[in-house]
Amino acid sequence: MNSFWNGKRRFVALFMFLAGVFVALRVPPVIPFIQLPGENFPEGYNVPFTDIRITNTLVAGVIVWVILLLLIAYVARRRPKDGSTVPPGGFYNMFEALFEGLMGFIGGIAGGPHFRIIFNTFMTIFLVVLIANWMELVPGIDTVGFIHPHVKEKYDADTDEYKVVTTDGYEIYQGFLGISYVNGQCDWISPADEAAADEAAQARADAAAISAQQAQIEAAAYDRYQAAHAEHGAEEADDSHGDEAGDDHGSDDHADIAVDSDSIAAAKNEVLDARTAEKQARRDRGCYTGVAPSAWEDGYVEPDKSEKKLIPLHPEPGSEEAKQVPWVVLPFVRVASTDLNMTLTLGIIAFVMIQYVGFKALGIGYLTKFFNFGTLLKSPLGGIDVAVGLLELIGDFAKILSFSFRLLGNIFAGSILLFVMSFLVPILPWPFFILEFFVGVIQALVFGLLTAIFMQLATVSHHHDDDHDHAEAH
Amino acid sequence: MDPQSTIIMGKAIGAGLAMIGAAGGGIGIGLAVGGAVQAMGRNPDHTATIQTNMILGVAFAEAVAIYALVVSLIILFVLN
Repeated sequence: MNSFWNGKRRFVALFMFLAGVFVALRVPPVIPFIQLPGENFPEGYNVPFTDIRITNTLVAGVIVWVILLLLIAYVARRRPKDGSTVPPGGFYNMFEALFEGLMGFIGGIAGGPHFRIIFNTFMTIFLVVLIANWMELVPGIDTVGFIHPHVKEKYDADTDEYKVVTTDGYEIYQGFLGISYVNGQCDWISPADEAAADEAAQARADAAAISAQQAQIEAAAYDRYQAAHAEHGAEEADDSHGDEAGDDHGSDDHADIAVDSDSIAAAKNEVLDARTAEKQARRDRGCYTGVAPSAWEDGYVEPDKSEKKLIPLHPEPGSEEAKQVPWVVLPFVRVASTDLNMTLTLGIIAFVMIQYVGFKALGIGYLTKFFNFGTLLKSPLGGIDVAVGLLELIGDFAKILSFSFRLLGNIFAGSILLFVMSFLVPILPWPFFILEFFVGVIQALVFGLLTAIFMQLATVSHHHDDDHDHAEAH
Repeated sequence: MDPQSTIIMGKAIGAGLAMIGAAGGGIGIGLAVGGAVQAMGRNPDHTATIQTNMILGVAFAEAVAIYALVVSLIILFVLN
């Protein structure tokens, strides 16, 4: 142990420590963005020839299988020929020891006639889950990725589709090499301001309608006055005097004058349409309102939205640019086990294998485990057996949930633990990496082992077991 | 109080309440490890077997706490 810190290693450790401190002080922190479903890659990164967006957990899943296939290929290639006395090399040796140890372990649990299929299932699940879990310890996974403003998906009721927008209402554009930029052409308007603007527009529309009505009434009153004067043939002086007097209280005197309601509505609609067009124009520029204003936290600086601009990947620390947008990282690769899709798939595979080996061992009689009406014919107490069988049926489906949530919860919680610890202090998290190393092994082992145990239990006939117990008791 | 704060408050309280379930997992792990340590003390020869089974039992007990954790994570990060 002492020799570990001698030589070059301690300089490496010192360098890592200083680098951690430097990075912590120098680089502006990004928000540790926690999202349970796998994050979609930005627009344009589809699964080839489909519309399905790639998620970062899918990438991790593919990597897991590639590693597994490479491992199999390597081990198969290094395997000594039968009868060869050449001792196999280091990694192969380790793998063989692991393989043998686990084979003995499973042999002790399920060493029956179905040992091979049980062990194959166990080993496949074990290796897949183990590689997937250990990926969270690899530097760069979960941390290196697209950096972009804090975004969320926003439902746009007008176009009936989801759009990716930042928390302050910008639409995200994808630039070169994954550098995201936001459309800076829109003004951020809070939902309250938007509602106030709507109200103001409504008030203006009402005012326009009233003034239009007023103008019509006045015009009609003037016409009527002119007509009356023309009939009487009054003098010019009286005319002009009377005109002003009529104007003063024309609206009161002539409230019964029929007005053209269409043109009043048109005047009102003109204002409202202008407001709608204003909103539509902003939406056309990719701006939304009504998004949760998490950007209104302390230290948030109102962005300068005068022009459309490219926000740099690494804004100068402490600069206005860096403070403008809350940044998050969308990792290229996120641990596959933190996605329910992966764990649920493994759970369903385990479930199918359990049922398969049960049918293989017991044939159609396996179903009596779930639908046990045999004893009901003999005595009414057999109803208990029926109920137990139904419980077994429910329990078997519950295994899927229990399998998938156990793995998901453990590894997702572990990832969050590593995030949080890494964001607290730069050097501190290494004990937690050791913890996660063991959690990864234990969860892989538990997943595989439970599958093996349940498969073994499925191969054993219930009735046979009961008879056996009775025989022993006697 | 504005609606946003109320929602956050409700989420935080709900997530905290969900994590009460972790207490059960803690008790279970304590019982399992306590029993295993006693057994190891009496039968030091069987330490390896006992340890394996203990770790399995601990993992199962922990899983129950993890379910509570998943629920609270869903409340915090998935519910809108």
